[in-house]
Amino acid sequence: MAPVRLTVNGVARDVDVAPDMPLLWVLRDVLQLTGTKYGCGAGFCGACAVRMGDRVVRSCQLSIAEAAGKSFVTIEHLAAAGGASVQKAWIEADAAHCGYCQAGLLIAASVLAESKSPLDDDAIDAALGVHLCRCGSYPRVRLAMKLVAAGLKKKG
Amino acid sequence: MRASRRRFLAVGGLAAGGMLLELATDGRLRIAGRALAAAGGASDPSFRPFAWLAIEPGGRTLVTIGRVEMGQGTRTSLPMLVAEELDADWERVAVETAEPGPEFPEMRTSGSWSVGGRYRSLRQMGARARAALIAAAAARWRVPAGACSTQPGQVVHAASGRSLGYGALAAAAAAAPLPANVPLKDPKQFRLLGRRTPRRDAPAIVTGTARYGLDARVPGMRFASLERCPVAGGKLLSFDASAARRVPGVRDVVRLGDSLAVVADHTWAAFSGRRVLEARWDEGALASFDSRAYRAQLAEASGRRGTPGRVVGGAEAAVASAARRLDALYEYPFFVHAPLEPMNALAHVRDGRCELWLGTQAPNWVQEDVAHRLGFEPSAVRVHVQLLGGGFGRRLGVEHAVEAAELSRAIGAPVQVVWTREDDMRHGFFQPAAAHRMAAGLDASGRLAAWWHREASSGQNFRGRVDPADPDLAANLMWGGVDNPYVLPVMRAEFVLVEAPIALGPWRAVFAPSNVMARECFVDEIAHATGRDPVQLRLDLLAANDDADAAQRSRRARLAAVIRLASEKAGWGRPLPAGRARGIAAHVYDGETTLAQVAEVSIDGGHLLVHRFVCAIDCGPVVNPLGLEAQVESGVVWGLSQVLCNDVSFKNGRAEISNFGDYPIPRLPETPVIETFAIEGASQPLGAGEQPAAPVAAAVLNALFAATGKRVRHLPVREADLA
Repeated sequence: MAPVRLTVNGVARDVDVAPDMPLLWVLRDVLQLTGTKYGCGAGFCGACAVRMGDRVVRSCQLSIAEAAGKSFVTIEHLAAAGGASVQKAWIEADAAHCGYCQAGLLIAASVLAESKSPLDDDAIDAALGVHLCRCGSYPRVRLAMKLVAAGLKKKG
Repeated sequence: MRASRRRFLAVGGLAAGGMLLELATDGRLRIAGRALAAAGGASDPSFRPFAWLAIEPGGRTLVTIGRVEMGQGTRTSLPMLVAEELDADWERVAVETAEPGPEFPEMRTSGSWSVGGRYRSLRQMGARARAALIAAAAARWRVPAGACSTQPGQVVHAASGRSLGYGALAAAAAAAPLPANVPLKDPKQFRLLGRRTPRRDAPAIVTGTARYGLDARVPGMRFASLERCPVAGGKLLSFDASAARRVPGVRDVVRLGDSLAVVADHTWAAFSGRRVLEARWDEGALASFDSRAYRAQLAEASGRRGTPGRVVGGAEAAVASAARRLDALYEYPFFVHAPLEPMNALAHVRDGRCELWLGTQAPNWVQEDVAHRLGFEPSAVRVHVQLLGGGFGRRLGVEHAVEAAELSRAIGAPVQVVWTREDDMRHGFFQPAAAHRMAAGLDASGRLAAWWHREASSGQNFRGRVDPADPDLAANLMWGGVDNPYVLPVMRAEFVLVEAPIALGPWRAVFAPSNVMARECFVDEIAHATGRDPVQLRLDLLAANDDADAAQRSRRARLAAVIRLASEKAGWGRPLPAGRARGIAAHVYDGETTLAQVAEVSIDGGHLLVHRFVCAIDCGPVVNPLGLEAQVESGVVWGLSQVLCNDVSFKNGRAEISNFGDYPIPRLPETPVIETFAIEGASQPLGAGEQPAAPVAAAVLNALFAATGKRVRHLPVREADLA
């Protein structure tokens, strides 16, 4: 099989693996970008979320064949890709607990932050409510997203 | 923890080259200061008065923590304890996680005891190191030590205006005897303790650079996934791995006892190889295990005589002869932890040694069990503890580490064993199911005259079986039942052991959620049956607080205080929007932390909605309020998973779950507003990691009753319960 070319974090990468290998494992085991996490492998948890343009995609559900020619941003490159304010809000809200699921949440939050829709509770529920966190970081995740929405207004 | 003071030896001719050999207390020599030596610079060693603490020549304070980080905040809270008394510059405190071994003989992180257990000793380390640095500065300046003080990161001589950074004093402090009997600060002088301190690992987490077990990488490593008998304990009869071996990227298929390991270049290839493995199993004795039958057995057994745990007077007779009697059977199912990071371990066995990289709550058990399985000395096994993608008791198990080590030895290469989510859910160890048969005798005026609590359940067998003849069975297993905090003139708590053949192990708050659900709901039942307010009844049951035992009096008073605070903050008794109602539950965890929670719920479209949780907790002086709030929120969401989500059933010996689709956990939209209020009533810091999970189910079930009049006596709450 021929190598597949995709763009990850602004860099063109040629990958020569089985065409059904999900992007998740290409990132983690081939490109050594371990910030994207494996949580369920079935699209339930969102720990593996990455950005594809202005969309959030679950890298465990996207084969490398489907990823060919596309451009992706992972957590490692989030700051450079316009996500610094989201990261800053996450730190300010002390959102993470164990932190394992947070990469996916941050990716989703960065896409939400760039969307034109108002960042109210419904929008936060819709965008971030599809991510699982076993530590229960949700109250702080909501707070972090509100800090983003408030233009990083200082926490009272 | 003994103070393992290290000595620094300048060894022969090497000293001239500026190289120092560090003689550690474990007898191993390590080369220190090599980078400086190579650069031809000074050879100042670090000041490392304790295994936990080093002050480096550059001025950085390195705290090596002998506990693990799984989201509960030890990498922040424990260094705070050292830094407070050391008067370290918090911005220049670095944290690393220790390795198990002679310097760290017990790193096990469980029981919510990391801060409480280390509150004095870590502060003492900081205080003694600070005194040593002051002494070193005083000697250099030829002034009395008493004339010197510290500001964060430096010693100051106010009279002369001189100051020296800790780094510049490290070598001199290391060369002098370590001061003993150094007084600790008055808490009023605390700079760090009690301050809202953000998690140290947050920057690494939000940039994807935090390293969990699954992120460990070493050159030449392979990835493996293990096919196991679907029924725990089954035997592998035969297998055909030819198709698996043809999967691109698969290197080999290795039999490991009764498992088959697919070894590959990538995790995906290992998973793919597993899917085409053909294996025949002898499923063994467990193949007939059915949780419905087992739970029926529990319900039946809860009517039998058990091992008594606490007996005051004759409860059976008192209940039988009471003016009025209440009975209820509470049922608690099996659950599984499901941390977001599935079990995994990277092991590399070579030259009679083994190195492991994994997240574990029990690094020393990993070291010991791997050494035992490989036939090595524990000192030949190094464990590099990574961040844990959730612990919750599950990562006290070490079987994944042992299988990784065995596999690495078998294939002669480093290998990371990765459990799939499905492996993690089906082959974990489970929270024991239980049946609680509650009986109360009420006198003619409706007062509670006798309490009788019989629990039927199994014990935890994850590190050995439970002895049915153990006279302490109830005391060991019936947390929240035998130590019922209320003043009960006649009471009996007893335990009937009904062993389940599946793997069972510790859960967040261990056995407390089960017993507390039954106890706190039954108190609520008594309140409603006798027309009394559930908050007031609890306070009344704590009012006759004249126990001879001062500790018992204290914890009852502290329990009453949090009940009052939670009910006040929740607006107990005040009107709510139509359809909403409140429920309360309270607990004293292991005789220490007291907590009360008020849940506010409604039913909407056949769904139970939890809107608000008000939590009052007394876990003594709060080291990091931000961390405490996080733990309370975490515990509430954990408890809600037991009420709102799913349990684990077994059929034909198989766990009937596979992934988050059929074993969901709470999500952001169903998470209530959670408010935390702390009372610093206890004199020492107590646990807060597991405790908040214990009363959650009862608070919700009691609120559900208040909202609907339906008394649900099991978990989880299903739609049919609300219809």
